[in-house]
Amino acid sequence: MSRIVLDLVERLGMTPVGGIVELPAAAADLPIVSAWCAHSGNELVSTAGGLAVVRRGRVDEGPAVRDVATEHRPGSRLWLYTNFDCNLACDYCCSRSSPKAPRRALGLDRITRLVTEGAAAGVREVFLTGGEPFLLPDIDAVVQACTDRLPTTLLTNGMLWRGRRLQLLRAMPRDRLALQISLDSATATQHDRHRGDGSWQRAMTGIRLALDEGFRVRVAATVTAYDSAETTALHDLLDGLGITRDDQLIRPVAHRGFADDGVDLTVETLLPEITVTADGVYWHPVAADHPDQLVTTELFPFAHALDEVIRRFTTYRHAADTAASRFPCA
Amino acid sequence: MNQPLLVGAVAYTPNVVPIWEGIRDYFAGGPAEMDFVLFSNYGRQVDALLAGHVDIAWNTNLAWVRTVMQTDGACRALAMRDTDATFATVFVTRTGAGLRSLDDLKGRRLALGSRDSAQAAVLPVHYLRQAGIADDVELLRIDSDLGKHGDTGRSELDAIRAVLDDRADAAALGITTWEAIGRDELMPGALQEFWRSPQYSHCNFTTLPSVPAERTDPWVAQLMAMSWDDPHHRRILELEGLRRWVPPRLEGYESLFDAVRDQQVSARW
Repeated sequence: MSRIVLDLVERLGMTPVGGIVELPAAAADLPIVSAWCAHSGNELVSTAGGLAVVRRGRVDEGPAVRDVATEHRPGSRLWLYTNFDCNLACDYCCSRSSPKAPRRALGLDRITRLVTEGAAAGVREVFLTGGEPFLLPDIDAVVQACTDRLPTTLLTNGMLWRGRRLQLLRAMPRDRLALQISLDSATATQHDRHRGDGSWQRAMTGIRLALDEGFRVRVAATVTAYDSAETTALHDLLDGLGITRDDQLIRPVAHRGFADDGVDLTVETLLPEITVTADGVYWHPVAADHPDQLVTTELFPFAHALDEVIRRFTTYRHAADTAASRFPCA
Repeated sequence: MNQPLLVGAVAYTPNVVPIWEGIRDYFAGGPAEMDFVLFSNYGRQVDALLAGHVDIAWNTNLAWVRTVMQTDGACRALAMRDTDATFATVFVTRTGAGLRSLDDLKGRRLALGSRDSAQAAVLPVHYLRQAGIADDVELLRIDSDLGKHGDTGRSELDAIRAVLDDRADAAALGITTWEAIGRDELMPGALQEFWRSPQYSHCNFTTLPSVPAERTDPWVAQLMAMSWDDPHHRRILELEGLRRWVPPRLEGYESLFDAVRDQQVSARW
C-alpha cells in the first residue's frame, strides 16, 4: 500500500510556503498525490520521470507580486499609447512610429474610462506616449482627464511647441503632470544620428521652454552603447538645467520595432507595465506593437486585463522559481 | 507609550516565521502593537513567560497546563483558534483489523506519538485508564521532536507507519494529523478510525497577571477582528490553521489536567 501521503505530510510540514518537495512516485501513486494536493491546498507541479513535485501552498499572486518593489508592482503603472503617428522617424523606435505610421488613437473617451477604471484597480501613475502625443488636437483634454484622476507623465519629443500647440502646452496643469522629453546625448551628433538632423537642438529648445513654463521635466536618453564619458556629459548638461537626477533616465535601446539590435526583452524576463493601445492591452510599453506581448484585445473592463497580467506574471515567476529550486548549480 | 507586547512562539516549522511576521504586521500601527520571539521548545517558552521575558506565550494545551501548575492558576488565557476549541484524538487501525472500540485494544499494541504530545500520548493513555484497560494494552512510544509537544506531527506519522508495518495494531493521532492525511479517504482500504475522544481544547495565548488587562484587552480585540473574508488576513489564518480567533474554552482543558495529575507528568519540561 502506498505511503506517499505520509511522506508528503511530513516533508511539506518542514517546507516553507512556496518551497518544493520531490518524492519518488509510482504511477499508481499519482492519483493519490493529486487528490491529496487538492485536499490539502498544495500545488502538484509535475509528475514526470517517476517524481512527484509538489509546492507547499497554493499558487497565488501574493508572494510573486509582493516580491516586487511597490512602485514597480504590476498594475501600479498604466501606459497609454495615445496615437502611433510621429513627426520623427527614430531608427530605434520600439513602436515603429513615424510620419508614415497611420494614426491609431485611443481617443479621449476610452482614455478617460481606462484611467477611471485603472485608478479603481490600484493604478498609481499614468504615462501617455505616442508616437508624438502633441500631434493630437485634443491632447490638452486627454491630459486633463488623466491628471484629474492620477499623477501623469506625458512623453514628447518637445519639438512641436509653436502656435496652437504651444497654447495647448501652456494650458496644461503644472501639478500632477511631468513632461518626459527625449534627449539622447549631451551634444547633437549622437542624438541626431538616430533621431534626425537638427532634432537635438529642437529638443533642447523644448526642454528649456518646458522648464521656463514651470513644468516638471524628466529627460530620457536612449543609448546604443554605454559610454561613461558621454553619460557624465549628459548628466552635467541636465544638472546645469536644474533637472534632478531622479528625473534623468538613461536606458539602452530595446531590440524591438525599428531597432536592429539592442536588449532582448520577453514577457518572461520583463516586469509587466500594463500598456493599452487602440489595438489591445500589452505587457509592456516597449513591445506595444508586438503580438508576443499582447495580453488581450479587450480593453474593458480594465480590471480583467490587469488580472490576466498578474496571473501570467505569477505563472512566469513560479516557473522560474521552480526551475531554480530544481536545478541548483552546486 | 507602551512597548509592543512581546509574544513567544515555538519554531516547529519554517512557516512560523511568515505566520508571526504576518501577525506582527497586522498589529502594526494599531492600538496594541506586538513583536514576537521564537523558542526551540515549550519548556523554554514557559520559563521565559514566567520570567517576564515575554508578555504572552502561544502555548500548547500541555504548556498551558504546566503554566497553570507553576503559577497556581494565576495565569490567564486570552484567545484560541476556533480549531483549538474542538480538538480531538482519534484511534485508527488497519481497515478490517476488527477493532471497533477501546475495549478491543485489550491485548493489542497501540502506537503513541511523542510523550509530550497531549493529543498523541498523554490524553490517549488517559482514555485507556478511564476505560480501565491501560494495563492490558502494549504501548509503542515513538518519541520524536521532543519539546515541541507534538506540533510537528512527525511522531504521529511514524505511529501510522508502525501500524502499516504491523509493528502496532492501532495508533493514536490528533485530529489535525488525521485530517492532514485525508482521513480514510485518500488511502482507501488502508486505515480506519475506530474511536474518537470527546472534544478538548488545544492551544491558547497565555499571559500572567503582571501583564495588565489594559495592555492585553486591545490586543485581543484586534486579534478577534482578523477576518477570513480579508485576503491578507486569510493568508495568515490559513497558515496557522484557523478561520477565526475565539475566546478560550477553559473547560476543554479539564481532561488534560486530570491526565497530567494521574500520570504525574512533571510541571517542568
